[in-house]
Amino acid sequence: MGFYFVDPELYKQYKDRVLELSQAIQINYPEHLPPERRKPGFSDRQIAEKLGIEEKAVREIRCVAEREYYPVDEWERALEFKDKACRDFAVGGVASVTKKYIKRQKDKAG
Amino acid sequence: MTAQDLDQMQAYKTELNDLALKSGALVLGVADAAAFTAAQEGQRPEDLLPGVKTVIVVGGAQPRAGDWRSPTYRHMETTSTSDRVTAIGNRIAQHIERRFGYYAVTIPPGVDRARKPFLNVALAAELAGCGSPSLAGPVLHPEHGFMYYAATLTTLPLPFDGPLDKPACPAPECVSMWNEHATTPCMATCPIDDGGCLGGTLVDERIGERRYDVARCTTRVQTHFIPGFQKALGAVFDEPDKEKRKMILWGTAFTRTLWSMSYSNVSQGQCFECMRVCPVGSKHRELR
Amino acid sequence: MSTAAVARASNTLPDPPPGTPQEWAEDIRKTALASGVDVCGIADVHRWDEFVPEGYRPYDILPGAKSVVVVGVRGPSAGAWQSADHRLIEMNGYDFSNDRVIHVVADYIEKKYGWQALQAPGLPVGGHQPTFSMMLAAVLSGLGTRSFAANIILNPKYGLLYYSACLTTLELPPDPMLEQDVCPAPMCVQVYKHGGKTPCQAACPADEGGCLSGTIDDKGRIESTFYDRERCVSRAMNFGINSFQKALEQIANEDDGEKRTMMINSDFFTRSCSSIAFYKESVAQCFECMRVCPIGRAERKLK
Repeated sequence: MGFYFVDPELYKQYKDRVLELSQAIQINYPEHLPPERRKPGFSDRQIAEKLGIEEKAVREIRCVAEREYYPVDEWERALEFKDKACRDFAVGGVASVTKKYIKRQKDKAG
Repeated sequence: MTAQDLDQMQAYKTELNDLALKSGALVLGVADAAAFTAAQEGQRPEDLLPGVKTVIVVGGAQPRAGDWRSPTYRHMETTSTSDRVTAIGNRIAQHIERRFGYYAVTIPPGVDRARKPFLNVALAAELAGCGSPSLAGPVLHPEHGFMYYAATLTTLPLPFDGPLDKPACPAPECVSMWNEHATTPCMATCPIDDGGCLGGTLVDERIGERRYDVARCTTRVQTHFIPGFQKALGAVFDEPDKEKRKMILWGTAFTRTLWSMSYSNVSQGQCFECMRVCPVGSKHRELR
Repeated sequence: MSTAAVARASNTLPDPPPGTPQEWAEDIRKTALASGVDVCGIADVHRWDEFVPEGYRPYDILPGAKSVVVVGVRGPSAGAWQSADHRLIEMNGYDFSNDRVIHVVADYIEKKYGWQALQAPGLPVGGHQPTFSMMLAAVLSGLGTRSFAANIILNPKYGLLYYSACLTTLELPPDPMLEQDVCPAPMCVQVYKHGGKTPCQAACPADEGGCLSGTIDDKGRIESTFYDRERCVSRAMNFGINSFQKALEQIANEDDGEKRTMMINSDFFTRSCSSIAFYKESVAQCFECMRVCPIGRAERKLK
């Protein structure tokens, strides 16, 4: 048998739901928000209960799906993003990020 | 700067020196941040910290006398570390920021892109008067010989120390050996013209020419580190036979590279043979 | 009779030290701060009931746990924040003094007070999930509140801090949670009003390939937040286990031996290996949302 890994067919079947129910995309986390608006994500056990599959299968599906979410290109793009952001800030401070949005809003307002 | 400011800076320097020695360093030196003209663009202090004035270098955490004595080379492969001296550098940076209110950042010991360091710490040690370059490569302190260094950049305008007047290398013993045998202990141990890494000449009791095979030295200093891991991984993928692949993956070499990578803080330098025979600082290795 | 009382009756436990629980809390806090952290807070374990599922609460990890002591430290030096080279702050890491001090605290509680204590486990053990959330612990112990920027907990004085927690069966009076949200700062509310984005959202906008989004209500409070954690992973863990696995998959799938050699020895894969090896340098590798955050900036303004 070797070590446990998830069956690719099971993975494909449940990947999207597991990700949706987990914390891959975090919406409305702040603790002060009313409980009906918060979406903190579910534990592997809670997801397993909802989907009717084993907890260890959920864990494996989640681990692989988290890794697969973005292609490795995103890691290369990250280097360019950070290099530019850091250098721009060194020159322009906070305005290096906020200026274009304020201008956009002003232009929209007329 | 007024005379009062100069006195204040000197007092700060003394305070930092005391902190470094109390924390376990052997030496502390201060280099002028503007003196790194020999460094490549992108690796100078001003490329890393805007407004930088000085580079503080601490040295210490040498292998002990007992370490050098061990006939098992594998011992020092798995116990050498710059962690302790980097921790002192971090303490200095924190002290400067929280006590004196100036910016400070310690250079990480790892490498940046394309395997280049952020700053040439060996150059920093030389410019701070903590040692001088040797024919073997490491910066040697005239009293203590081989040691590890950490560099902290800061906007604190401390008085500089500057490079040593008299280089530590070559030592008088090495000059004698050169005059008699046209080689030195380090070159004799690892001769570039006989499968090793080092070569060169002494002229008028100073280093004349230096030859250094970086690629071969890498195979010795990082035998079981990332370069070794990459080589073994390549072999695994190139091997079509499953049984042979297993032998590679589970064999000593690959296992050892994984140990080195996970315990990197004590497995950074894996060859000391040129330093083992170096007479600089060797009097401190003569213990009971 | 409580378990502790039974144990004391049978002479297996030291007597509780003199003083009141308030004094014990103060003593523990002083010890933590003197050991080198910037902040220290205490929470009651039942604050977790509302916010985390079973299995992740303090008493799931330490049976009988009553209190959680949380400490926080600043990460990179102010000098590192100044550098125009983003790789320097990434590789500067932090000195792990929060972990070191939480061990001091746990030892102190066990040796001086005679109650059980442990360092709460912070590393991920199933994908990205840790056994215990240090961020939530910081909120529940009154050390900070959640922000738009990657849900990072911001301390009102220092902004971004790194946290560790000690779970203990010693019952201590809890600190109040912060009533006033740290995020958004007044300046950020103004920027949002005039530009539709806070500085952190502008630095890393989800609608432009970044990680962050959110809205502020008419009272100046966080109304909604959006955080693409998976994209953030590609930036905050640019080189490490994730990039190593991604690259390894590509290498394993490459049939051409020469291309494989190029990939194995590439700078990308080399740095991925290096980050695994020098993990202490490589704890967080993106600071762009925090760079533009006004909270704690005053503490980083030096000469």
